Amino acid sequence: MPSQASSPTYATAKGFCITSAFWMMVATFMGLLGATELIAPDLLENVGWLVFGRVRPIHINLVLFGFVTPGLLGAAFYYLPRLLRTDLYSEKLGVITVLIWNLSLVSTVVSLSAGYSQGREYAEMIWPVDMLVVVMFLLVLYNLIMTVRQRREPVLYVSVWYACAAIVLTSATYCLGNVIWRPNTGALVGIPDAILLWFYGHNIFGLLLTPLALGVTYYVIPKACKAPIYSHTLSLIGFWSLLVVYTHIGTHHLLQAPVPTWLKVISIVDSVGMVIPVMVVLINIWYTAKGRLGEIHADVGAKFVFTGTIMYFFVSIQGSMMALPQVQRVTHFNNWVVGHAHVGVLGFSGMIALGGLYYVLPKLAGKPLFSKFLADFQYWMVLIGVSGFTIVLTIAGLIQGNAWLNGETVYRVLPEVHLYYVLRASLGLMIFTSALLGFYNIIRTLYFNTGEFSS
Amino acid sequence: MKMTPLAILVGSLVLLMTIVFVVVIMPWFTTRDEAPSDIFRARTAAEEAGRATYIANGCVYCHSQSIRTIDWGIGAERIAQAGDYIADRPILLGSQRTGPDLSQEGGEHPDDWHMAHFVNPRYARPLSIMPAFAFLGKDDINTLTAYVQSLGLKDADNRLKRQTFWKEESILAYEAGPVENVDWLHHQVPEGWRNIPNPYPTSEAGLARGHKIYQDFCLGCHGPIGDGMGPAQPYIYPPPLNFTTLKGRGVSGGILYYQIMNGITGTAMPYFKKDLESEKIWEVGNYVAVYFINETDADAEPKGIDAAYEP
Ligand code: HEC
Ligand code: HEC
Ligand code: HEM
Ligand code: HEM
Repeated sequence: MPSQASSPTYATAKGFCITSAFWMMVATFMGLLGATELIAPDLLENVGWLVFGRVRPIHINLVLFGFVTPGLLGAAFYYLPRLLRTDLYSEKLGVITVLIWNLSLVSTVVSLSAGYSQGREYAEMIWPVDMLVVVMFLLVLYNLIMTVRQRREPVLYVSVWYACAAIVLTSATYCLGNVIWRPNTGALVGIPDAILLWFYGHNIFGLLLTPLALGVTYYVIPKACKAPIYSHTLSLIGFWSLLVVYTHIGTHHLLQAPVPTWLKVISIVDSVGMVIPVMVVLINIWYTAKGRLGEIHADVGAKFVFTGTIMYFFVSIQGSMMALPQVQRVTHFNNWVVGHAHVGVLGFSGMIALGGLYYVLPKLAGKPLFSKFLADFQYWMVLIGVSGFTIVLTIAGLIQGNAWLNGETVYRVLPEVHLYYVLRASLGLMIFTSALLGFYNIIRTLYFNTGEFSS
Repeated sequence: MKMTPLAILVGSLVLLMTIVFVVVIMPWFTTRDEAPSDIFRARTAAEEAGRATYIANGCVYCHSQSIRTIDWGIGAERIAQAGDYIADRPILLGSQRTGPDLSQEGGEHPDDWHMAHFVNPRYARPLSIMPAFAFLGKDDINTLTAYVQSLGLKDADNRLKRQTFWKEESILAYEAGPVENVDWLHHQVPEGWRNIPNPYPTSEAGLARGHKIYQDFCLGCHGPIGDGMGPAQPYIYPPPLNFTTLKGRGVSGGILYYQIMNGITGTAMPYFKKDLESEKIWEVGNYVAVYFINETDADAEPKGIDAAYEP
């Protein structure tokens, strides 16, 4: 195996970056399509494979496994070998992983649009696709462990902890949550199924997106600031408390369903307790960056990442409040939650995925970004888009939630939220456009000579 | 603490396993043998087939199946219990109520309403944003309807029995002829209601509001001109009432109010008491009376003391 740190090709990292940029276009298009169907339900009347109920899971699975996760892995496959002072164990295996990854995404789109779904949110994919997903995570894990084994740096940096934990834990919870020992249904029966599903569902955010995003943050922020991380102790506390607390809170999705009360209590207490892992990490990162925001501002990648940490703050504080039963009487079942989901997955982990991508891209390509302007433009489009989503969907959610509490029927409230659906789709158009430009920028950077745009 | 690869990998896996034991396996032990609830029954093969269609088309992303203590809408008569779900693999609680909760949807409407609604929800509910499902074809819509009609299990069966009984009665009345049909319809309205005129005066503003409500709620069946030829008409039997058949038959504001409020179980005519408050029902009733029946008893005696807002 190549342990000589020759000049690396970064084929795997590049592969994941392109995967992310490509599927961001498809995923946001699906979101936009779904949003449009909620305004004009007969736009695609009787085009069965694009009916809202099929578009929505495609959107969600593509943002999770097509855009955000590969984006974060693209950065990881760059920083891991460097932090471990070795080469990636096998670029060939890495490239094969990227290919399988894309194959699984294509199968996801095809199977869901053809109506093959297991009907469990975040675990829709049918068994053969599940198998592809498991294989791709195991391949990443193998490559990662072997790289760690051949490292020449004795001390493991925080980003390495997060990347290893994210991949090993997701490999495990994915199998468990998708009930892969029951290929036909991929489900348990009754209430235990709901409990398992939301244990798994929340771990997609808590044990996959969050640790991968924090890994990138811990790499990019100190690098961009040229400062050591503020506190090793805080890094340790942040890491272990995340694993312990996040895994307990899945049942806060079921507070109004007939599940055992003690389990609800655990989930509420730990949801509030999430303040600890979140704030510990944020204090650590923000103190590292203290007084050095100029450096962060100067690098578009670091700017994305830093903005992502602010979103992490907001989504988590909001989340802790949403786990309180009194709040959830209003927020549950409506667009408030969709707003929260977009701040989390797009504002926090998606922003950081884009940040990692733009941070490592010039290093992968060996030349500057094709266009810093386009990257900046994308930054603003995504920032405006996701902030707008939050405002618009929170308002819509409050209207729905309070009207329902007051006894108005769902049908009666539809015209009241129509305007907000229109605004959401308009903001979505901005995000989708920026995804197109981002893809162009990334391809130009990697494969063409630097154009006149560059600055 | 020294973070070795072993500490990270094994440490996090051991943590995960411990926590899985607490938050997944322990609850599994305490909930897996849940006793069936009072309404539980097994589903038939057709209902299961319909459930598969429900899953394949993502109905779960817009419809919950989980009634809470704070709910008012469809199904709010019965709070969800763990024992309702013991045959659900997967459970379809849902996380979003873009449309209403369907836990107790069975028997809310007769089958013909569902056929019109699935072909295109705007036919039955003009402002709906639910997708059209005509592409599924007649057979799949039928099994899907069978599933939807089973939601609520034994409670649904009771409601469906009521629907079936009154469906036969309403068809007999309809086929007997327009005069007999109207007699039958009015015979179902409790005696007291039949003699009540609409207590509020006709006003331009009131008619305009009635017009808006008619368009948002009634148009798909009774049609823009009240002749019963809305787009849902081909799917519904007995067909939506042609309001002109009511002319000269002594229809009162009270009859209109009662029929709109309570619906006509067995026919596709839904109840609107959850959607519309009292004022709105009087106003849409008067709109129908003035524009389609061309006779209104609004403000006729006995009407009691005039309400304070009347000019
Ligand atoms: C885009 C979200 C959406 C999807 C997907 C959706 N629905 Fe709906 N559904 C609605 C809305 C909104 C309403 C309320 C307006 C209406 O009655 O059409 C509704 C109403 C209903 C009703 C009538 C409830 C009542 O008694 O008033 C039934 C039954 C129903 N849906 C079944 C289904 C089934 C079955 C599917 C899947 C094949 C489905 N829906 C998919 C949004 C949706
Ligand atoms: C899904 C179709 C549908 C919708 C929507 C609907 N109706 Fe009906 N309506 C019917 C049918 C069917 C009948 C009964 C036909 C029969 O049995 O002959 C009926 C009967 C009636 C009657 C009974 C008249 C009588 O003399 O007893 C009134 C009044 C009425 N509808 C008013 C309304 C109003 C007002 C709305 C809107 C708020 C409305 N309907 C919405 C289908 C519908
Ligand atoms: C860390 C603290 C957090 C807490 C306490 C929290 C809490 C919650 C709660 C209570 C809900 C359920 C709302 C309901 O159904 O009524 C929810 C939903 C959701 N959360 Fe969070 N959240 C947190 C962070 C995050 C992060 C960081 C992300 C993304 C990476 C995220 C993504 C989501 C998504 C996507 C949903 C929607 C799930 C669905 O119904 O489909 N959350 N969160
Ligand atoms: C073009 C931009 C986008 C648009 C128009 C859009 C639109 C939508 C729509 C319509 C839904 C369904 C909501 C419902 O059922 O009512 C949704 C859900 C969701 N979207 Fe997006 N989206 C966009 C981009 C993104 C991005 C980039 C991400 C993540 C990186 C994302 C993550 C999610 C998640 C996690 C959900 C599930 C929410 C929940 O279950 O509560 N979306 N989105």
